[in-house]
Amino acid sequence: MSQIKTNKKFKWALDFNQKNRTAATELPSPPGYSASANASYTESSKDTDSNLLLIKKLWDVALGPLKQVPMNLFIMYMAGNSISIFPIMMVGMLIVRPVKALFATSSTFKMVEGTQATGQKFVYFIGNIVNILLALYKCQSMGLLPTHSSDWLAFEEPQTRVEHIGGGISLI
Amino acid sequence: MGLLSIHFKPNFLGLLKCLNKLNWFIVFFSLINLSVCIYEDQIGKFDWRQTYVGRIKFSQFDTVSTAKKIIVATEENVLAALNLKTGQVVWRHVFESTSTGNIQLLHVTEKVVTVTGSNPYLVRGWDSSTGVLLWEWSLTLQNEEQSEFSEFWVQNNMLVHMLPVFGSHVEVSMYNLLSGQNRGATSKLPATWTNDGCVLSAPYYTCISGGVGTQQLLSLDVTSNAVQLLSRPISEYVTVNTYDGGLRPLDTNNVIPAFTLDDKKIVLIRNNQFEILKTEVVDPSASVALVDTMHGQVILQAWFDENEGFTVKAHNAATGAEVPELRVLEPELKLAEPELAAATCSRPRDQLACRLLLTGADDSVHLMQQGGRVIWSREEALANVVAVEFVELPVSDLDAAIESEFDQKEGSIWAAFTRRLQTQFQQLQTLIQSLQKGEGEEDEAPPALVRDYFGLHKIIVLVTDVGKIFGMDNLSGALLWQYYEPSLDTENVLVYTRRTARYPPYDAYVTIVGKHEESGNGLIISLNPITGALIGEKLMHLDVQLLQCALLHRPDNEKLYALILLDKDENVQILPGSAAPLVENMYMYVAEKNTARVQGYALVYDGRSLWARRTWQVQLGGGGAARVVLAARKAAAERVHSPGRVLPDRSVLYKYLNPNLVLFVTEGPDPLHKDVVVATCVDAVSGAVVAAQTHRRARALPLAIHTEHYLAYLYYNDKHRRTEIATLELYEGQSRWLGAGAAFSSLAGRRAPSVERQAYILAAAPAAAATTRTEKALTDKHVILALSSGALVEIPWGYLEARRGGLAEDGSVIPAQASPPELLLGGDARLNYNRSLARPARVHAAPAGLESTSLVLATGLDLFYTRVAPSKTFDLLKDDFDYYLITIVLAALILATYSTKYFASRKILKMAWK
Repeated sequence: MSQIKTNKKFKWALDFNQKNRTAATELPSPPGYSASANASYTESSKDTDSNLLLIKKLWDVALGPLKQVPMNLFIMYMAGNSISIFPIMMVGMLIVRPVKALFATSSTFKMVEGTQATGQKFVYFIGNIVNILLALYKCQSMGLLPTHSSDWLAFEEPQTRVEHIGGGISLI
Repeated sequence: MGLLSIHFKPNFLGLLKCLNKLNWFIVFFSLINLSVCIYEDQIGKFDWRQTYVGRIKFSQFDTVSTAKKIIVATEENVLAALNLKTGQVVWRHVFESTSTGNIQLLHVTEKVVTVTGSNPYLVRGWDSSTGVLLWEWSLTLQNEEQSEFSEFWVQNNMLVHMLPVFGSHVEVSMYNLLSGQNRGATSKLPATWTNDGCVLSAPYYTCISGGVGTQQLLSLDVTSNAVQLLSRPISEYVTVNTYDGGLRPLDTNNVIPAFTLDDKKIVLIRNNQFEILKTEVVDPSASVALVDTMHGQVILQAWFDENEGFTVKAHNAATGAEVPELRVLEPELKLAEPELAAATCSRPRDQLACRLLLTGADDSVHLMQQGGRVIWSREEALANVVAVEFVELPVSDLDAAIESEFDQKEGSIWAAFTRRLQTQFQQLQTLIQSLQKGEGEEDEAPPALVRDYFGLHKIIVLVTDVGKIFGMDNLSGALLWQYYEPSLDTENVLVYTRRTARYPPYDAYVTIVGKHEESGNGLIISLNPITGALIGEKLMHLDVQLLQCALLHRPDNEKLYALILLDKDENVQILPGSAAPLVENMYMYVAEKNTARVQGYALVYDGRSLWARRTWQVQLGGGGAARVVLAARKAAAERVHSPGRVLPDRSVLYKYLNPNLVLFVTEGPDPLHKDVVVATCVDAVSGAVVAAQTHRRARALPLAIHTEHYLAYLYYNDKHRRTEIATLELYEGQSRWLGAGAAFSSLAGRRAPSVERQAYILAAAPAAAATTRTEKALTDKHVILALSSGALVEIPWGYLEARRGGLAEDGSVIPAQASPPELLLGGDARLNYNRSLARPARVHAAPAGLESTSLVLATGLDLFYTRVAPSKTFDLLKDDFDYYLITIVLAALILATYSTKYFASRKILKMAWK
């Protein structure tokens, strides 16, 4: 009993003067090992934890496009409004990426069938739309959007005429 | 690009790669881009120039210098040397076109001596081989009135000037030819028998004087010291009853004084005696010449007879026997009213060899060797072109067959299939034929007159002042056909293309509307511009004078556009008459030149006949006694591609595109401002004045441009003594009046367009103006001006824009590219580089099949043809594009691609085995 008491007193103390040899068959647990703690781990708790993480991760993905907005704004600012190869490439990238992301929405959120999936998808969608709008705004400010009547002038039907004329200075 | 899109992977890297490749493409295409100017090796590649001298007035063979030449002086006031072998111009001097440039005398010995002008006269000596001016002195006569009857000739190195005062005396002065020093005083020879029918056959002055029946033939050597008057009654030579006073000098004579009497007898003056020749003039219209040969003097006579053709006969002057070697009978040579301009006979190997320079009534010049062989011909009528028309060529038979195949829509599948087989067989046949031809002779026939792929090959129909019509190949400048109509008066001549060669079973059809030379009645010539053959109405003499004519806007079922003729009595005729029911919504206007009154007509077809109803009348020129200098309207079938102009803020300024607008420029005196030029834009249907402006102290030039919504005209500013170009642009405004594609009617709306105006200084003297024209009007419009300095300059419309430097609607200043008011005509704007054009008179532009290109012909004393690309040749590879290089590079790339693929697969295989 005293032994047990000491054992209880000092968790990390080892008693090398052990008299009861018969008890040697039952090996003490390694230091720091707690059988009760071991037993408390269950499969179910592990499962809920990973789910939470996934949701968190997916929210990250869903919010990704929105988080890109400040960066895109910066890129847009840096690209300037001149029409040259690099700004055009940047604008192209700005517009192509969210569109592609939108098409890939279902594959991005494939593994989730959680309660928050619709919300995530919605946020993701909104974020990409915001990006596309930004890119369109950029195109607009660069003058790439055919929004003026002058942009459609070349496709207009030519004017026809009703009356026809002939004549000139008198030949006499 | 197809290859590119295959390689394009939907990722950013792919995009980058694609752009990278695109970049290379941009670099590659920029290499193809073309420049405005031409390079040295392109001289004469797209253009040609032909030099002319005009109708020959005096000519003489230059037999003294080593390089044989003919020196000619012409009605166009040109002195030139023509190569004896080729007829090309060796050197040429173009004098003033006014009376100060008139050539009075041409005398050729070692040096060429000319007398030009009319009091004061300029006597000049020229080096005959180079045309360099050697000396010059001027001669002023005291007696102004009589000076037009002056006669000059050279005798013993002295210039003799004779001035007859009819009925009184003859003044003769002699000057040293080189210095102009007067030898003694002017001698006055009493000669009361002179009249204006006298002729000079140096040094004898010959007249016929006296009452009817007792006429005397009188002749006087005006240079001899002792006055010796030869006098004979005329009855000794001709029968007095039939004699009508005909006394003509010979056409070519530098041997002894001679003349023809009554177009029958030839009279020489030898040893101060009249000597009548045994040879008589064969034909009253014959041209007679006296030439010195080794067999003595020979009388040459040349005439043209409708039945026998062109004939030359030679007779010995002394014996009257015919010289058979010199006889020429050419039934083929159609040379109306031939004139022996010059003749020379030499004696190589003891045989008589003569060369005759002949000019015809059609201004053509032929150098004929004996035996009738024409060594060369020049068509000097082309020095006076009055109207130009570019005509399309027909498609080749094969293309026509293909087109007709696709035209036939009806029919079963089998019919279509057999048609297809037939066409394919035909194509195969032509291919085999072309291959066989390629093996055989290389180039025998000139290329057939068929349309080329780019539509650059056309025929130019040229109507000349003398009444000769030519068909010319535009690429080479070669004459394809010619048609001479002596009775055609080409003043105000009009040329219409009534049917193009696009409708294969029917021929192309060009109509020339002119006047009859004597009656002034309408004369209509219709011909096939490809062959020059008369078709349709052929040669049509109308029995009434024409007021104006127009082309109907609608073709009939033979694809022929009818010709509407409005005559003096305001009756309307239509050719062909069957087209009368097609007349609808047709209006005409006629401007009277001297009263500046414009009358508008509506043409009405009432089911039976066509008649003209007067609709409106406008008095131009601000009420004063003005005259119309020009009336300019848009080309009849003008296309306008863009209905508006894009402003810097990307809004559109819509153009006012009234197809019925006519610009009239009038000039009239003004009590306050000397002369006033008024430009008025009149709608020819309603008679409404759309815009007008006035220039005070200015004189109008007959040059204007009217296309799309642009108008430009030139005038001479008397105040600043400079030429200016005024430009007008008409706009509807920022919003359009009619919807896109709507039909414009002059009678529907009454809104006035906004007018932008500007005037620019032109530091040159323009002689002709035109705008470039292209097929679909996508290309920019440039203004082409021919300057009297001989340059043909191309000015982009942007330099003439009326909106330049003005205020835009939003208050911002439209950027002025180069703001000085003076138009800068740079050297690169000059189309004809160093090929100056003498006396340019007209510029004509026509569209090519290629959208970027416009064909330009400048006429005048010279003809110059070129092609211009106002927006660069965006649809054509550069002229010196390296096809071999690109082929080699492509082949090498393909080879490299496949070899790397093979090597790469081998390498992968080896690595897998490791």
